[in-house]
Amino acid sequence: MKTIIAKYGTAITGLVILVVLILFARNFASSANMLNVLKNTSFLTILAVGFTFALITSELDLSFANIASLAAVVTGGMIYSGIAWPLAALAGLAVGLVAGYVNGLVVTVAKVPSLIATLGTASIAGGLAFMLTGGVAFVGRWDPVFLSLARGKVGPVPVLIFFMAAVVIAGWFVSRKTPLGVHMLATGEATEAAHRAGIATRRMKRIGLTLSGLAAGIAAVLLVASLSSAAPQMAGDYLLNAIAAVLLGMTMFEPGRPNIAGTFVGALIISVLDNGLVLLGAPYYLQDIMLGLIVIGSVSVSASVLKKAAFSV
Amino acid sequence: MSLTDAAAAPGLATSEALRVRGATKTYGAVEALRGADLTVRRGTVHAVCGDNGAGKSTLIKLISGVEAPDGGEISVDGRPVHFADPHAALAAGIATIHQDLGLAPRMAIYQNIFMGSELTRRILGVPVLRRRAMIARSAEFLAQLNSAITDMTVPVDTLSGGQRQAVAICRALRWKAETIIMDEPTAALGVRETAQVLALIRRLREQGVTVILISHNMADVVAVADSVTILRAGRTVLERATEGLDADSLSHLILFVGAEAA
Ligand SMILES: Nc1ncnc2c1ncn2[C@@H]1O[C@H](COP(=O)(O)OP(=O)(O)OP(=O)(O)O)[C@@H](O)[C@H]1O
Ligand SMILES: [Mg+2]
Repeated sequence: MKTIIAKYGTAITGLVILVVLILFARNFASSANMLNVLKNTSFLTILAVGFTFALITSELDLSFANIASLAAVVTGGMIYSGIAWPLAALAGLAVGLVAGYVNGLVVTVAKVPSLIATLGTASIAGGLAFMLTGGVAFVGRWDPVFLSLARGKVGPVPVLIFFMAAVVIAGWFVSRKTPLGVHMLATGEATEAAHRAGIATRRMKRIGLTLSGLAAGIAAVLLVASLSSAAPQMAGDYLLNAIAAVLLGMTMFEPGRPNIAGTFVGALIISVLDNGLVLLGAPYYLQDIMLGLIVIGSVSVSASVLKKAAFSV
Repeated sequence: MSLTDAAAAPGLATSEALRVRGATKTYGAVEALRGADLTVRRGTVHAVCGDNGAGKSTLIKLISGVEAPDGGEISVDGRPVHFADPHAALAAGIATIHQDLGLAPRMAIYQNIFMGSELTRRILGVPVLRRRAMIARSAEFLAQLNSAITDMTVPVDTLSGGQRQAVAICRALRWKAETIIMDEPTAALGVRETAQVLALIRRLREQGVTVILISHNMADVVAVADSVTILRAGRTVLERATEGLDADSLSHLILFVGAEAA
């Protein structure tokens, strides 16, 4: 019973919230609103899956939101200046990938702790994004095919939901089913033990941070298509939201450990709460207060799980 | 300093599995090794003894690629080697059970045993973990140690010290290494578990595996080892066969041989 609560307590709480909102928030349960909530969760989820990979290797990435903004203005700027959108989209992905890899190098080669390293690259990426745009947004006429990446629908279901599902499933598969995933996990769980078992732990940390950057690139391209504009700081609001989703996820399924399934449910809970609060007519600042409580609450729950691991061999 | 060559061990194998010459290693101001030598014959059990802080674990870290030596030479099968990392040592057939920091406490037993060398199958070219096969093989490895553990999916931090040691030993077995180094494998163990580890060491030797055993337990050393190297303050002061030694005389050697040099 105890372990069931430890593993599924947060998810069950999420379900209770869902039921309450269905019963009391007008229009919440309509299929249009549900699909809308899911759709809006996709950016959050994709970014959070990336952050999860970094955290699995026990490294923080505080730069993914600004990297996403940078990738967005690169993609947007290229399309704006007449470059074919597939190239521009690839460039956005590449910006994320390279920025994530640079984070990895700064952490594993220059040995700067990731908290500081990614705070630095976040500032650099943010600055570059302003530099490229001159501080204004790229808006204009966009290729409808490009826009359909984020606005298209398959039947009633927005395409974005499929992108989100693909990222979640791929992330879950890699982290749970492949040697790469278990090597990243071992690196985060016990770096020295993993190293002595022949695992290239620094490479695993680089991969974790690179995946976080790549996820930022994916989210950025979809965000540009969704908003049909690209502006510096456009992904900034996702920073704390995505981190909160991952931390909330750490209280689920594999308590105390970042995991993709938990991240996904965590992102869903945060989106549902946001949406529910709006529908219930709560003031907007309540969302920020709620987010702060989620971050602090989740970490205190995880910490009590982690404390049990006193150990030496 | 009197260095006696290790006498020919019983059995056919007399070729050299491992040789260390003049290894030095300093940590800041601490000279952990100041010229350590070690010669281990293939297929033998070779003990490394010495007081606390003599440099035994440091010597093992050099051989297993955990640390790089400041000076000296290491050769495997007569060929000089430079291990850049533990993976290189494992690839050269040397698996090590370290005194500490060997396991990932919150990961499952089977994940610890197969850490770094997981069983996989390819699906569409992608390597996919074979969880059930790893669980079954882990149970077989642990059965070799007569371990009572049955659930391979529980985290290692739920086990007793001896059980953890058994998991660490199984990891080394898993590598199918030609040389297995054990740094104080019986330190945390009870009487019965110690006897099992000693029996395992003998069985490994029968299978032709070379075992390097670090131990403070003189009775264990004379019971199971063919030859012994004694370190004192980072130097090798004696290397000889254990034949004709009992626990008391070995303790005496550790305490007094080379004491004037140190
Ligand atoms: N990482 C390190 N940093 C600083 N000093 C170290 C380090 N590792 C070992 N030493 C020092 O080097 C010396 C040799 O240590 P080592 O662990 O090799 O001894 P040992 O023979 O294994 O001892 P024990 O029997 O207690 O395990 C000691 O003085 C120790 O304090
Ligand atoms: Mg030691």
